[in-house]
Order: sequence, then structure tokens, then C-alpha cells
Amino acid sequence: MSNNPKTNTTSNPFDIFVIGARKGFNIAINNLMPNVLMAYVLAEVLNILGVMQLVGRLFGPLMGIFGLPGEAVTVLLTAWLSSSAGTGIAVSLLNKGVLNGTHATILIAAIFLMGSQLQYMGRLLGVADVPKKYWPLLMLTSILNACIAMFVMRIFA
Amino acid sequence: MGEEKHTQSSRELHVGPGAYIALIIAILFFSGLFMKVGGMKWLSAFDFTTLSGTFGTMKDPAKNTFLGAGGASAKAGFLFALSLAPTVMLALGVLEIFTHYGAIRAAHKLLTPLLKPLLGIPGLTGLALITDLQSTDAGAALTKELYDEKEITKKELVVMSAWQYSGAGMINNYFAIGSALFAVLTAPVIIPLVLMFVLKFVGGMFVRFVLSTVYKEDFQDEQ
Repeated sequence: MSNNPKTNTTSNPFDIFVIGARKGFNIAINNLMPNVLMAYVLAEVLNILGVMQLVGRLFGPLMGIFGLPGEAVTVLLTAWLSSSAGTGIAVSLLNKGVLNGTHATILIAAIFLMGSQLQYMGRLLGVADVPKKYWPLLMLTSILNACIAMFVMRIFA
Repeated sequence: MGEEKHTQSSRELHVGPGAYIALIIAILFFSGLFMKVGGMKWLSAFDFTTLSGTFGTMKDPAKNTFLGAGGASAKAGFLFALSLAPTVMLALGVLEIFTHYGAIRAAHKLLTPLLKPLLGIPGLTGLALITDLQSTDAGAALTKELYDEKEITKKELVVMSAWQYSGAGMINNYFAIGSALFAVLTAPVIIPLVLMFVLKFVGGMFVRFVLSTVYKEDFQDEQ
């Protein structure tokens, strides 16, 4: 606690807020917008092709364990590639009435626990030099975490 | 001379069959031919205009936001993402202030005594772990530094990375991206966040356990 917090160039809380808000704008425009747009288009393609309905029927029993409709698996699969895109799919399914608030509550922690794993392989495991031998173990752990999260969130939802 | 020039340019510009297929698909995609094919509605999934989608309309002006109702595909996604920008800016602005006033340092102090008993990693790794809650990349960089300076062993590195990998950048991602779902949640917003934090430890402990049983031989010369 001895280190002085006022080492930043500015210590005016309003300026600091603006710095954070600017980061937020960049995330919203550079990260969220392209990912969400992609998710919406992907959801539309899957919908037109009838894949969504098929997946819904196929994964119905499995997702039923977590109190979710089968279509929810598309949220999780997309989240694995990118959390933003997974969230985007969840919102588009909410708008279509396939998911409801309870389902979103069950899914939200899982989206981030197993989210963006593909990106983070490079950005985290690659950068930290984790031997590739253990990557599948860490991936499995994340998916296990996501499953536990859905069970627990079911109680709160 | 003319012929030599020709071979040279063809060497520079190698066009395989895949390129022609891509071109044909591109032309078909943008052509509008797939938009309305009688009896084959699924073809419209490969049509540019269809996938551009529609903006929502003011079906119920008293309730609709600028998103409208009944929008689809790219146009609806664009407006939806735009509608998230204010929440994300507010969340990150406020987080920046709390960080400035030392919230992260306090969290670091509270976290440190938990690390050795739960994960078997030294307390000095706390900073890297806490940093990961905000930024995946910064957390990864700090972790590598610890290993390079021989502060942690290979096994500790793997356990640390497991903790970070599941739900990386948790706080920022949750408030920046997850906020899209906050309005419909049926439980308080904090509950999923706390749960994710706890599960990071569960995952870390699971990996620690697997490393000391299944992969025991790998780490025999350590410790």
C-alpha cells in the first residue's frame, strides 16, 4: 500500500473516466461490432439452411440437462471461437424467442468460461510458453468449468 | 520477348483451380440469382442481399428503440452492436476509475494467501493472475516473465495458465461483452461473475491434480 497511486499522468477522476470510456468505445466499435455482425449473419445462414432447427433437435436431450433448448448449443460452439460472437448469437436467439431470460442467465457464465479459446491459445498459452502437450487438458478444463457453471446458474436462474 | 514476358507474369501470378472456384462463388454470391429460387429457399443463405438483412421497423413506436422490431442479419446486428456502445463505455470508464484508486491492488492482497494452499503456486504469481482478470495479453506476458526469471517451475506455469485460460480477461469481457445480456438476466449481474471467479480456482485445482497424477513423470526433476 506504500506505492503512490498518483503515478499516472492524470489523477483527475473525470479524465480517468474518459480514458476508460475511450477504451470502451474502441472495444465496442473494433471488437463487438464486427463480431456481433458476423454472429447475426451466421445465425441467419444457419436459420435459412435449417441447421438451427436440426441442431436444436439433435442437441435437445444434451442441452436439456442444463435446462436449455437444443439451439443453445450454437451459442456455446460460437462462444468457443469468440465470446463476442457467442453473445451475439445468444441475443439473436433471444430476439427470435428461441431463448428466454432464464436461458441467458444459465448461459452467460459458460460463454466466458469456455469463450474465445481459439484466440487465447495464441494470445495466452502461446505467449506464456505453455508446452503444447498440456493445451488439450487446459481446454477440457475450461469446458468442464462451463458445464459446472451452467448447472450452478440453473439454481439461480 | 513477348512470350518470355508472358511466362514471367504467369509465374508471378499463379492462379490455381481454387481461385477460379472462389471467383465463381463470389460472382454468384453477389449476383442476386440465389435470392428467390422457387422451391429452393435455402439457396438464399448464399445471397448477398438476403444476408444484408433488414433494419427493424417502428412497429410499436412507444416501445421500440432505434433498433426497431423484426430486424434481421447484418443490418440488425450492426444496430444492436451500436446500441451496446454506451453501456460498454460507461462500464470501462468506471472500471478505469476503480483501478486507479487501487481496487486491483487490494484484490491482489486478498488473493495472495489463497494461492499456495489451493493451487500450490507461490504468492508472487498473484499479480499476473489479477492482471489476467482485466487483460489476457498483459497476464500472459507477466506469466512468461515469471517463468523466464525462474520464479516458477514448469508445473506452476501450467497451473497458472489453466487458471487464466478459462474465463480470461473475465472482468473486462463480462462488462464489455456480457452486458448485452444483462437486461434479460433473471439473477443479479454479480452472481455469474463470482461464479466464474470461483470456477477459475476449481479449474486450476483440477489441472494441479491431473499434473501430479497422470503427468507425474514430467515433473520429477522439479522440486
